[in-house]
Amino acid sequence: MDEVGLSFFAELFAHTFGFWWVIIPAIFLGLIVGAIPGFSAANTIIILLPLTLAMGEEIGLVFMVALYCSSRMGAGIPAILVNIPGTAGAAATPLDGYPMTKQGKGPQALAISFVSSTFGGLLTTIVVLFVMPYVAQVVYYLHSVEMIVVMLFGISLIATIAARDTLKGLIAGFFGLMIGAIGADHVYATPRGTLGFLELYDGVPLIPALVGLFAISEAFLIIEGESILSKKGQVLMRDAKWAETFEGAREALKRWWHIVWTSLIGLVIGVVPGAGAAIASFVAYQQSKTFSKTPELYGTGHVEGLVAPESANNGVTSGTLVPLLVIGIPGGATAAIMLVVLQFHGTTVGPDLFIQKPLLAYGVFSSMAVTYVLMILTVFPLARYMSRVTMVSTVYIAPVIISFTLVGSFVPRAYVFDMYLALAFGVIGYIARKTGYHVAAILIGVILGPLLEQYFLRALKMSKGDIMVIFSSNIGNVLWVCLLLSLAVPYLKERHRKRSAARDALRRGEEAELGGTTE
Amino acid sequence: MTPGKFTLDRRTMLQGGAAAVGGAALTASPLAGAFADTFPSRNLSVMVATREGGGADRNLRAFWGVWKKYLKTDMEASFYPGAAGRVGYQQYMGIAKPDAYTLLFGNMGPETLNWVVKKPSGFDFPGDYIYFNRVDVDPSCIFVDAKRSKFKTIDDIVAEGKKRTLNVGVSRIAHPASLGVLALGRHTGAKFNLIPLSGGKNTYAGVKSGEMDFGALPMSGTAKRHKTFSTMLIFDDKTYSDGLMKKLNNAPLVNRHFGMKLPPLVSARAFAIKTEAVEKHPDRFKILEETAAKVFKDPDYKAAVEKAKAPWELIRHGNAQECADYAKSIMAIGEQYKDLLSGKA
Amino acid sequence: MSVEPSPDGPGKKSLGPDLIIPVGAVLFTLYYFSTIIDSPWTAQVSAFFVGAILLLLSFVFLAVTGLRVARGQADLRMDGLLAPRSVALRRLALFALTLSYIFFIDRLGFTITTFLFIFLGMFLLSGWQRAKKRLILALSAVLSVGGYLLFVVAFQRRFPEGPFEQLFKALVASTGGG
Repeated sequence: MDEVGLSFFAELFAHTFGFWWVIIPAIFLGLIVGAIPGFSAANTIIILLPLTLAMGEEIGLVFMVALYCSSRMGAGIPAILVNIPGTAGAAATPLDGYPMTKQGKGPQALAISFVSSTFGGLLTTIVVLFVMPYVAQVVYYLHSVEMIVVMLFGISLIATIAARDTLKGLIAGFFGLMIGAIGADHVYATPRGTLGFLELYDGVPLIPALVGLFAISEAFLIIEGESILSKKGQVLMRDAKWAETFEGAREALKRWWHIVWTSLIGLVIGVVPGAGAAIASFVAYQQSKTFSKTPELYGTGHVEGLVAPESANNGVTSGTLVPLLVIGIPGGATAAIMLVVLQFHGTTVGPDLFIQKPLLAYGVFSSMAVTYVLMILTVFPLARYMSRVTMVSTVYIAPVIISFTLVGSFVPRAYVFDMYLALAFGVIGYIARKTGYHVAAILIGVILGPLLEQYFLRALKMSKGDIMVIFSSNIGNVLWVCLLLSLAVPYLKERHRKRSAARDALRRGEEAELGGTTE
Repeated sequence: MTPGKFTLDRRTMLQGGAAAVGGAALTASPLAGAFADTFPSRNLSVMVATREGGGADRNLRAFWGVWKKYLKTDMEASFYPGAAGRVGYQQYMGIAKPDAYTLLFGNMGPETLNWVVKKPSGFDFPGDYIYFNRVDVDPSCIFVDAKRSKFKTIDDIVAEGKKRTLNVGVSRIAHPASLGVLALGRHTGAKFNLIPLSGGKNTYAGVKSGEMDFGALPMSGTAKRHKTFSTMLIFDDKTYSDGLMKKLNNAPLVNRHFGMKLPPLVSARAFAIKTEAVEKHPDRFKILEETAAKVFKDPDYKAAVEKAKAPWELIRHGNAQECADYAKSIMAIGEQYKDLLSGKA
Repeated sequence: MSVEPSPDGPGKKSLGPDLIIPVGAVLFTLYYFSTIIDSPWTAQVSAFFVGAILLLLSFVFLAVTGLRVARGQADLRMDGLLAPRSVALRRLALFALTLSYIFFIDRLGFTITTFLFIFLGMFLLSGWQRAKKRLILALSAVLSVGGYLLFVVAFQRRFPEGPFEQLFKALVASTGGG
């Protein structure tokens, strides 16, 4: 790769821009499939496989990459506007995105999401282009022991969410973990807690859980009012103009450093095969809150709470393609399907690709970069119009949400069972919301529980049951220390804040007293 | 993957839902037309026990593209992944009518082992369904990372396994490749610790990342990735063409190298049908068997397989008897290791 | 994420609904344990760990609630769950409609069932008098047929079939398209 210079990249980008006619339709298709729960870039590429294969290698690849990037962004749109993440990767997006919408800041929230997704994605793509071989090394160092700690970083978000009512938050999170433990065990495939349903042998399918907890329960709640917006929000949305969209962009760009580091978290987690966007966005959100000066604002419609998961999940998109191209191991489901398409065209993916077909290998990332550039130009202006959906009366929104998301939960496996399951999760979600248990905490458990168990059991099986294996790696131990620190920091900061507030109050009191005596 | 022709078929493949599949295919739909004397007088329905877009899907498309020429009908495929194929079989046995219009397509090796570990509920195997048309065999193999592994031969692996327990990445425990590793360990005294990584993709990742000492999977995958992974041992009793053997690192065959007497431990995809359907409609079954056998001699099929980049020499037709023999042998060896397969050791 | 205040007044809270999740969690955890009691350790270790914590947390919550009820600070009435009363009936009807939607989609096919669901759902929520009947009819038709075209025709998903899908297929077949 040494002979690849700047002029090569300049030429490459110019070449990739020539595919704008493929990229722009793929962007819009990606937005749609990303936004409907049940569809994803991976299954859309499978559906369109005959088309992709017929396209020719380079165009097909550009098409898939553009679809992949924009579907990630698409998943955030319903998460922000109607509290329904399009995919598990956007599960942390509504935490602050939806409260903003309710306040009538839908256009701002969408603009923040678009800018953070685009810049996070663009930045990580450029990073990858230059340091790819080094980034790929992550695969060799993050094994199951280290991944246990990474998962715990994500799961610790439960504790963060639980901050307002610790006991209820923790019950919700652990209930989610328990539900996530349904299914055959990872080693001997013994069925556990499946209530006799064969359909649950592979665990609780994510989309029905996501659809139920977020969408169905939301639909049953919003019918309490005419609009999903607050009174003030309705006024704001009625008067919304371009200025609101630009305000969102400004808010996001002001936090450029936040975009940088949260997208890098996404990149690193994305490189590890099987980790995925959900864990990255949870970790990013949790870290963002930990190191924030205003942690108490998270969950109320805080800009950083939206920037973090959105830039992180686009960082993952760049990351999952790294191991595919550098060592021939796909980092995620979409990357795996891209591999199939490339193989069909007779291209063996792996380190040799950079020598044999450098234009194609680097082309993956240049298409990504070009996609992001075209994406911000084409999608950003739509924020204002998309957010209008929040103005529609709940009378019309609720039935549409229910039917389309239920159908979405049917899509991945084509089981009618999954629609009943989504409804069951809808009931759980409804009860949880009505009684102050956080549905996001339940979902984190459902998503991360099985992953954590998988890595934990793998480590245990390899060590023949020795629990100390979780402290057996140097990198793992460093991560453990970081985890403890990140859990301790909020408490230390809070204590510090209280102390200094008390000191200030004391000083002010003394000064007042002093002032009083001198008068 | 065969685009074009198959796309058109998929347009008609509009069914879904457990009951809908059986129902729509079996009740006479407006499209099906009246029953005629000849079989098949309407579309056949094939239930696949794995995910859409995977290896079985690819295999089925290639085969069906040619088979339909002889059957003069179309196919509606539906996919029932889940519980390592169990869902597909339970659904098939539960909803398919015994009229020979609904078939199952699955992987005999791992899916037969499912029943060794845990008996199916509501039906028996062997007994209630039979495999009748094997389309391919894919022998299991042991492989290592081509660049980073310190093992150069299978003997290095066995020698090291006698000194310390080696971690072996496998797709899952109830799999012919896993059985091969267990048998090798028992025969040589080497200690192997099977780590199920759920699926081939993860197994390659586990071996590549260095977390696993070596891996065991069907060999067509490692042949395809021969620049990244080196094959060390093949669980089969015959060699293949020079070209394929080169991609397999000219790895030795297990029985010859270690003086063992293992049956070939292969993944083998095949069509299956309810035994009741065969008994009720022997004429229909005969048509299915005979037409399927013709596919293997058709040059169009070879072209379709090669287009999908699968080695033609792994396409091996097997009739009902051969399939039954194979299932019996894999179940027998599964029984020997049942304790290890189910964690009850 | 609101806890409904008790109608009894500001002092006393109805905590009945708050108990549903922890009680459900306890029951589910115990059932789960019963399914793994004879399993290999790999199936047990993680679940016992998580389950034990969940049981502990739930019992603490139940104890705290019990204490508050004993002190007269709260009661166990369930009325907060479906509140506000004005929408309770509509909510239950929408739930029943949703359940029927899933039941019938498998029998009548995607398009017809979705049409009926959206149509009846919008009517139910707006009330017969206030409903903009033409708008609702148009929306239901456009959304269900649009959904069919998007999911089944464009994306080729295998949705449950009914008379509409059969007819469409027959039409496509008879015109030689597809």
